[in-house]
Amino acid sequence: MTVKSLAEKLNLETVCCPCPEKEVSGVYIGDLLSWVMGRAKAGDAWLTIMSNVNIVAVAALADTAAVILTEGVTVDENITATALAKGVNIFTSRNPAYETAVDISKLI
Amino acid sequence: MKELSLNILDIAGNSVKAGATKVGITITETDETLSLVFRDNGCGMTKEQVENVTDPFFTTRTTRNVGLGIPFLKLAAEQTGGSFSIESATKEENPGNHGTTTTAFFYKNNIDFTPLGDVISTVTTLIMGSPGIDWVFTHTYGEKETRIDTSEIRAVLGDDVPLDSYEVIEWIKSSLEEEYDSFYK
Repeated sequence: MTVKSLAEKLNLETVCCPCPEKEVSGVYIGDLLSWVMGRAKAGDAWLTIMSNVNIVAVAALADTAAVILTEGVTVDENITATALAKGVNIFTSRNPAYETAVDISKLI
Repeated sequence: MKELSLNILDIAGNSVKAGATKVGITITETDETLSLVFRDNGCGMTKEQVENVTDPFFTTRTTRNVGLGIPFLKLAAEQTGGSFSIESATKEENPGNHGTTTTAFFYKNNIDFTPLGDVISTVTTLIMGSPGIDWVFTHTYGEKETRIDTSEIRAVLGDDVPLDSYEVIEWIKSSLEEEYDSFYK
């Protein structure tokens, strides 16, 4: 399923979505960025509560399909600009990581 | 990172890449705080580089365009309520005293404080990786101090014994282990 249709089905709020046609093939949950960097797989939707600019770098390196900020976490505008420039999709969800992951697993 | 010692390994690697011949790593602890200072005499950074060094998309690396060593250390310090700073002078700016000083300050009692981890492995790994550099590692906690200065070890051993030989590394490791045994007591 593409990032765009996943976001629509889950009613995620879009922070930025420069690459809407990316395929979501899995989920990774984690907040320790150095750990996520080596473990999230390409195509994963990465669920995290971290919202500093480093998440854009980690998402770009791991080639995740999207970053989904859970529990209503928001980002600064400067992060949005960087994410757009680097082709990193970012969404927010009001739900915690577990519920979000369960919802995604029903769709992919 | 899961341990500050991994951050130390990463940041000290920058000094090696900067062509430093002397690198000081100083950890100063109290019951509430920990400061981590890296001081090298490498090529230094320009003003523009210093300003951008905490931006993960600014890197001297040529294989990929993301550098996270400094951003991760800054994040680790700031998430404890601490701070991060970096000062640098290039050879052109200051031929007699060039290099970079990186400081990270942590509040240890913050729940998000990253434990120091295996510092001994970090120190021996750095010495093994670049035995020609003068490494000065100092860790103080109140009255306690542990210190390794590879130029002193080299002066005692003479030029015939390389610092990265198994025996020397084992000796450094066991002497650090001994000092740390009574460190926090």
